[in-house]
Amino acid sequence: MDRRQFLGTGLAGLALTALPIRAAAASPLAMQAAWINDAEFSGYFLAIDKGYYPENGLELTYLPGGPDVIPESTIIAGRADLALTTPDTTTRAIAEQGAKFKIIGAQYQKSPHGIVSLKKNPIETPADLIGKTVAVPPVNTMTMEALLKVNGIARDQVNIVPYAYDPTPLVRGEIDASLDFTTNVPFTIGTLGEEAHSFLLYDHGVTIFNDTVVVTEDVLKEKRGDLVAWLRASRRGWEENLVDPAAYPPQWADTWFAGTGRTIENEIYFNTAQKGLILSDAGVFAMTDESIEHNIEALSAIGIRATRDMFDTTLLEEL
Amino acid sequence: MAHEASRAGMIRNVVVIVALWEIIGRLGLVAGGALPAPSGILLQLWADRADYPQHVLATVSGSGLGFLIGNVVAVLAGLIFVLMPATLRLLRGVNIAIFALPPIAIAPILNLTLSGMAPRVTLAALGVYFVTMSATVIGLSQYDTRSGDVVRAYGGGNWMVMRLVRLRGAVPDVLSGLRIAAPNAVLGAILAEFGGGGRWGLGSYLLGSLGRGDPFRLWGIGLVATVIAGLSYAVFAIISERVLGTTRSVTLNTAIPAPASALSPIGRLALACGAVLLPFVAWWAFVTFTGVPDMIAKTPLGVIDYLFVGDQSAIARQKLIAALAETLPVAFVGMVCGLGFAFLLAVLAQMSPAVIRAVMPIALFTQTMPLVALTPLLVLLVGRGYAVTMWITISVTFFPAFVLLVQGISRVPQSVLDLPRAYGATAWTEMRKVSIPAALPYLFAATRLTVPRALLGVMIAEWLATGTGLGNLLNQSRGYLDYGMIWTVASVSVLLSVAIYYAVLEVERATLKRLGMQMVE
Repeated sequence: MDRRQFLGTGLAGLALTALPIRAAAASPLAMQAAWINDAEFSGYFLAIDKGYYPENGLELTYLPGGPDVIPESTIIAGRADLALTTPDTTTRAIAEQGAKFKIIGAQYQKSPHGIVSLKKNPIETPADLIGKTVAVPPVNTMTMEALLKVNGIARDQVNIVPYAYDPTPLVRGEIDASLDFTTNVPFTIGTLGEEAHSFLLYDHGVTIFNDTVVVTEDVLKEKRGDLVAWLRASRRGWEENLVDPAAYPPQWADTWFAGTGRTIENEIYFNTAQKGLILSDAGVFAMTDESIEHNIEALSAIGIRATRDMFDTTLLEEL
Repeated sequence: MAHEASRAGMIRNVVVIVALWEIIGRLGLVAGGALPAPSGILLQLWADRADYPQHVLATVSGSGLGFLIGNVVAVLAGLIFVLMPATLRLLRGVNIAIFALPPIAIAPILNLTLSGMAPRVTLAALGVYFVTMSATVIGLSQYDTRSGDVVRAYGGGNWMVMRLVRLRGAVPDVLSGLRIAAPNAVLGAILAEFGGGGRWGLGSYLLGSLGRGDPFRLWGIGLVATVIAGLSYAVFAIISERVLGTTRSVTLNTAIPAPASALSPIGRLALACGAVLLPFVAWWAFVTFTGVPDMIAKTPLGVIDYLFVGDQSAIARQKLIAALAETLPVAFVGMVCGLGFAFLLAVLAQMSPAVIRAVMPIALFTQTMPLVALTPLLVLLVGRGYAVTMWITISVTFFPAFVLLVQGISRVPQSVLDLPRAYGATAWTEMRKVSIPAALPYLFAATRLTVPRALLGVMIAEWLATGTGLGNLLNQSRGYLDYGMIWTVASVSVLLSVAIYYAVLEVERATLKRLGMQMVE
């Protein structure tokens, strides 16, 4: 922390104690999303639009992701305070590279990743993958390997090719299946005149979260209050958004979703399909002991030594 | 008159190509209809017209700024290198390293260390620097020594020779450099956008559209990118056409160039060591000054540690060697094919200029169509085997080699061509005895230029289509957060490019010395 920053936070602290909460100077917080703007991040868009972050004393900077953006890298480099990540990459970085990360929440209770195929040539279970060609985004290779390992399938029994998030090869029969978000790509396949069939990896032993909320240990120490505030505002955004998943995406056609090249119908489909994967009896972002245990089990199956202390549930407890 | 006829020919060829494309697209002849008809692409373009302005603006401003910065630095650097040849030797390693940096490896690093528009501007600038710098050096050093002698005879010094002869003589070369550089800047910017996570830019638009499975939209974006690149190419092509007439020699210079400045063996050794060390120093400085934490940014020592010392080093080496064994043979064959193809077409183009008019639009199109959009189509066309890697590699190596070779062949003075003609030689004999030998320095220069591009082309194909080799290793490592491997692949690919570059250089030196020709830098 340099002098100016120190003075800044000091003054902000003073202001916070001296003034009524409504007039408090907002503390800046930057979040790195996992992908470009789509329905996956609806809860945050809503919370930003409705001013839930300033209400909780935050001035939020939202950074969209993309295929070359490694969210964990952004927080290591200090360009964002928190990032939405895939838990397998994060826990592996902690276990093998000594990265100082903590997972403080999980947007998806069940990862939306699944095996998507065509109804006319369906892949019903992991065993059906044997001898087939599956397109997998190279950054998700580990997730695919997890599915195969957990289901006792050897890596060389399946032909894995790179996937560029374009369903055309699947529709044209060049590949038999793809690893993608089941909340998203079936819609596109429908518009291309085919019907999609899919199953969640979660339902076949890869019992992991996704879009885990990750911070560095330093940020956790310095900005704990802000992180709790972020969780609170974001949870409110998500809950409100999921009441009627068709309500908000149309309102963002000219703002958040402008120029993404995707259709609003696609976003509504996405938002609807993800509802069951996000909502939890324990509240949005919840990480129950049981689900953490499931994560650790699934991760250990692919050789990642995930441990309970990688997950910090104490912030959620403050909500 | 002939000029107008040639333009009419060009237009006719384009019309024929588009008509053929329309028929193929309508009938769904290619890849089960994955190649859409131009009319459909235009209709989709019109439907999406509201989306484009902001994306185009972002791409044009990013690539334009990068183009400007990259070229200003390149021309100044070229000037310094020619005035002080020692600096060229000293910085050769840095120059080649810049050219050989795989954009897919450095885009995420740039996106991490710089913010806002800076990553795309940097990638665009890096994409143009080497081409323009080498064109400037070629132009300034390939001057007619007799004109220099005239200036000296009248009491002019080095600076006057530079000002009156060499700078003027260099203009067409610099312009041809800018011509190749312009599409590079657009591609660099789009590539950075594709991975940058920004909201606006054609790369971001392409990314959002990929998941729609809508070939009309993808080709529309590709078309817009092509038009931007093509327009920037055309601007410099027109300027260079206007300028070229005034600077061509009328007769061939028969003086054998004097050997390079006599340096003591120790001085040479020092320069050579400096050239090898400087890129590593620059790498070190970049990592240190951007202040990116050690975990992400590896110094040269960090890479050595990762590859040879650390407890995972044996696995890392094994992965790297396996990937290299997959990548290198394909890169080599692809490079030879691309180069051979370019040479063949350049020769044909000289003998019948109609060829150049027919090929140029297609060549420019394949060059500027974003590979990320083209690759899925190629996969549907030729599958995911070696063929797709080959196609991509040839397409990225062909164009710069072709432009350079056409340049070399067309610069043979008229009077030299008149000699065989006077003796009744056929166009082919004339080509064989005069034009091809005269273009030899350009063939070597083109080979050196192609080495890193071939490697890059193979890696892009591996990344997007085949899932093998270095390209896949690089991309998978990002998924594993294996930063050590990302830096290792980037540095190994640069080192390889540099090594092959020097191998070509040695052959070139020996051959040209025997023929009494000057080397093209």
